[in-house]
Amino acid sequence: MFVIPKEREVPFAGVTPAPVGAQRMMITGNWRTYRPVINHEECNLCMNCVIFCPDACWQLNEAEDEVVWNYEFCKGCLVCMNECTTNALTKAHELDFEGGVVRLEKLF
Amino acid sequence: MGKEVTLSGTAAASQAVKMARVDVICSFPIRPYTAVMMELAKMVANGELDAEFVHGEGEHAQLSVCYGASAAGARTFTGSSGVGVTYAFETYSPISGARLPVQMMIADRTLDPPGDFGSEHTDAMSCRDQGWLMGWAETPQEAFDNHLINYRVGEDPRVMLPQFVCQDGYFVSHLPGKVKLPDQAQVDDFLPPYKPPHPLDPKKPVSHGPQIRPDQGVIMDLQRAQAFLDVPKVIREVIDDYNRIFGRNYSPFVEEYQTDDAEVVFFIQGAHALTARNAIRHLRAKGLKIGLVKLRFVRPFPTEEVAAVLSKFKAVGVVETSTSYGGAMRGGNLLHEVRAALYDAPSRPLTTSFMAGMGGEVIRLEEFYWMAEMLAAAVKSGKVGKYVYWVGFEAAA
Repeated sequence: MFVIPKEREVPFAGVTPAPVGAQRMMITGNWRTYRPVINHEECNLCMNCVIFCPDACWQLNEAEDEVVWNYEFCKGCLVCMNECTTNALTKAHELDFEGGVVRLEKLF
Repeated sequence: MGKEVTLSGTAAASQAVKMARVDVICSFPIRPYTAVMMELAKMVANGELDAEFVHGEGEHAQLSVCYGASAAGARTFTGSSGVGVTYAFETYSPISGARLPVQMMIADRTLDPPGDFGSEHTDAMSCRDQGWLMGWAETPQEAFDNHLINYRVGEDPRVMLPQFVCQDGYFVSHLPGKVKLPDQAQVDDFLPPYKPPHPLDPKKPVSHGPQIRPDQGVIMDLQRAQAFLDVPKVIREVIDDYNRIFGRNYSPFVEEYQTDDAEVVFFIQGAHALTARNAIRHLRAKGLKIGLVKLRFVRPFPTEEVAAVLSKFKAVGVVETSTSYGGAMRGGNLLHEVRAALYDAPSRPLTTSFMAGMGGEVIRLEEFYWMAEMLAAAVKSGKVGKYVYWVGFEAAA
């Protein structure tokens, strides 16, 4: 018999309940070297970024009538920028931000 | 009470898959396995079999379709041969890691060196360490039976592993033999519907195959390793059940033929065992005490059974139909497993590899006679002449 310490147990076959919100077990935002930056003036809410983001990091905030970026999970692939119909999205290096990934001492 | 028909190995496999009430089938053509898909496609088209028949755009897609379907809760079936088997290589470990009991038929074909299409076990044997069950059939009847046995073992909650159900291309896949087909009611009695642990349910959504960290990967490896420690017990139970319900006489792991007073044996898996049996009958008529030990599962490898059986003899000739270029004994992979199994045995027989049937050639009776001569000579001199013989290509001693 093998002994697996309690804190190291993994669910059978790695199947986990699907997260309804964010999967706290797998933060991926710290993989980023560039991040998309939105200019809300230019955005016409076409929703391309919401649809194309492979990690659902762009969501529509209906109350504010604008799309919102999730910095904890965005890997910086910039698919959103590529798909943006109005060029409202541009890329900026993480070094340019005070709380940028390259300056983090721990994962968010 | 069932009926006896004459079927090729692929046709026998298709009957077993149909009687297993498979839900999703994914095909892609490559000979010789492809005949099983021709049969199954006909059954689906004729309304004999209620299954989703998906044509993949390649072997990688075949396995990926079955991966998803199995995760959703379907009983799945796919298959391939030769380079088709290796084209899908990436998918094998994720499927066994996800503990999905996908069943894949392999009708052996050589890996191109280049462009051979004969039967050789190297295609399947190259995948033996991917966490799938694996074993060979000698006849269409055994192929039929192995498909049902493997579904039952693989879907057992204590196992939950995918299965390579192998038969030699052409020698089994395309040569008709007598097959006893059971009644559907017997099959339903033996093989209950697949109960997936996480069926597709929008009310209970789950994530399959998530990204994990290295410290989680080791635990999942350990889970699979544990499953392989547990599976021999399940195989024994299932074979007992199968023998009882269908009136067969299978050993779970190793089958012995004419071994009661044997001094030397052939150790073999798959179709060429049939020729070996005939060779042994002729050799015994001439007074040579020779027998045969046939392996039914190479994964899990039945270490204790092989050690217990083979340690009774003076010399064992492992008839390999696959290569392990540059391996420890320079022959095929079976000899490595056999020697490892025997290492702690109280008495160890002499062992050697016979590379035979390579490239898809028939192993002729004369070649088995020659191998028997080499074994008899080894017993006489107390040591084997070589650890690997390429049968038909050895300079006269």
